[in-house]
Amino acid sequence: MSRQLRILMLSWEFPPRTVGGIAAHLFNLSRELVKLGVTTYVVTCDFPGALEREVVNGAHVVRVDSYKTPSPDFATWDSLMNVNLQKEAATLISSLSRQVDIIHAHDWLVANAALGLKHVFRIPLVATVHSTEMSRRNGLHTDYERMIHQTERWLSHESWRVICCSQYMSEQVRRIYGLTQDRVKVIQNGVDSSVYEQEFERTKFRKRFASPEEKIVLFVGRLVYEKGAQILVGAMPKILSRVNAKFVVVGEGGMKDSLMQQVRNMRLTHKIMFTGFLDEESLRKLYQIADVCVVPSLYEPFGITALEAMAAKTPLVASNSGGLSEIVEHDRTGTKVHPGNADSVAWGVTKVLLDSGYANWIRHNAYQKALEVYDWTKIAKETKEFYERILQEYDGGSWKPT
Amino acid sequence: MRVILFTWEFPPRIVGQLAHYVNRLAVELIKKNVDVYVVAYHDSWVGIHQGADGVKAYRISDKVKPQINILTWMLSLNQEAERAAADIYYSVKHEVNLIDVYDWHLIPAAVTLKKALGVPFVFSVDSIEPHRSRSSGGSLSLSIRSIESLGVSEAMRIIVKSEWMKQELKRYYNAQENTIDIVSACSATWTDEVLAIYEKGLKVSVN
Repeated sequence: MSRQLRILMLSWEFPPRTVGGIAAHLFNLSRELVKLGVTTYVVTCDFPGALEREVVNGAHVVRVDSYKTPSPDFATWDSLMNVNLQKEAATLISSLSRQVDIIHAHDWLVANAALGLKHVFRIPLVATVHSTEMSRRNGLHTDYERMIHQTERWLSHESWRVICCSQYMSEQVRRIYGLTQDRVKVIQNGVDSSVYEQEFERTKFRKRFASPEEKIVLFVGRLVYEKGAQILVGAMPKILSRVNAKFVVVGEGGMKDSLMQQVRNMRLTHKIMFTGFLDEESLRKLYQIADVCVVPSLYEPFGITALEAMAAKTPLVASNSGGLSEIVEHDRTGTKVHPGNADSVAWGVTKVLLDSGYANWIRHNAYQKALEVYDWTKIAKETKEFYERILQEYDGGSWKPT
Repeated sequence: MRVILFTWEFPPRIVGQLAHYVNRLAVELIKKNVDVYVVAYHDSWVGIHQGADGVKAYRISDKVKPQINILTWMLSLNQEAERAAADIYYSVKHEVNLIDVYDWHLIPAAVTLKKALGVPFVFSVDSIEPHRSRSSGGSLSLSIRSIESLGVSEAMRIIVKSEWMKQELKRYYNAQENTIDIVSACSATWTDEVLAIYEKGLKVSVN
């Protein structure tokens, strides 16, 4: 099909505003879609110092007032932010004489804006469900969580089709929102390996984190229960009894204090470093100098950290959970360990750190897989075909305005 | 002329006086050859229904339950108001002249419909948040005020019931004197007055 596609993406984050993984996802996807000739608009929240309108790698980015008046809580703020998001997106689509073929929403955070726009313009809506409230919270315990869950369900049902980034997520989404198989499409997440190829003074940079004789064990992620940093910390004594290592924990979250206490109780504060949030450049360098990257998640819809490690040629130890279990093949592209089991994590990390031949083997295979499978160009092509299929169905129906 | 009235209460759902007021207005406008649709919230009686009086009521319900406060509730309900208004708009070949919105609840939908479809709206103000929550500077109240402020700045015309309310809108929301009309519901000719405001507003907005 040779139709000139025009896509409008809605997301609450886009670089430089980076909260979770959606910002990077959109940054890469929009760039690659543009390369395939897709006209791409991204309507997103503002960020201090970022332009209201700019062209980023060919994609037209519009940043809207993200609502600054105090709100009672995050979900209420999000509803109010969506008022602005929808208003500005409606203005943009009108200014383009409605020449937008698909509205693509990312997660429940933009559900309100996306749903209204779908109906007023009668443009097909697709949604990528990056994660679900039920899994983030390990169940639904409050009205707040149930409201978000129902919003996700509403968005999924109103979408022409839903995209999930792993088979695991697709099965979960079908089950908890009651969607049939044909309504959910799996398109993998991707990784850009070229960003891990820059030259820098490794020895000097390494000194910021560890002494030369210490191996670096890297953890990257939010410090929340499901990401499992506490499991890695629990594995420290066993690992340190066999290898001299330094544990570098990148990220912030509600569990930081309890993790630090856990380390103090073991008298191992000198063997761990909590860096907090790191700028992107430092994080990329850190991946490259780390001797092993550990992803001990208890729940992981996709596992972008694992992909980053693979692309950066860092040997990977990952728990056999969720989307991670699809990315990592045991003893080939990484070492799989049992989720929630500190002994298993200690075994995996020690194995990688003590056997350099094995570490190089998984490092090499993982890098090749990152290049071949999780390639943004390939993902953008699949996404474009997905859009085209929806438009074929849309063109044949009577919902389209005449 | 074809108008859509947006209200969060309409018989059989009666919260305050608004339900009766909007119902009376709809019936009277129909007698004056206006094609009237009402988009109103109802928890269970959803869909479009035309009564013997000629009023076409399109009742919408919230798709997300539970809700944590009136704002999250109303702001998700607004998407259903947009769907209902758009369904009407496309079914009548895009010929909707204006939307008349009663109080703040469905203002965001009206603003989007204006931006998206070029259908202007009248903001009919029965009461405002600074009066309802007089002593509250709480974040929920401030957020509702921000929506009322949005309505004031985006409306083609604003209709109030008294000179006092007109002054209050100017005081709280910086409303422009020449955008506000006063229609007293006690007046014998009040529906004529509302219709005249619609026509006046449309003339200006087209020009």
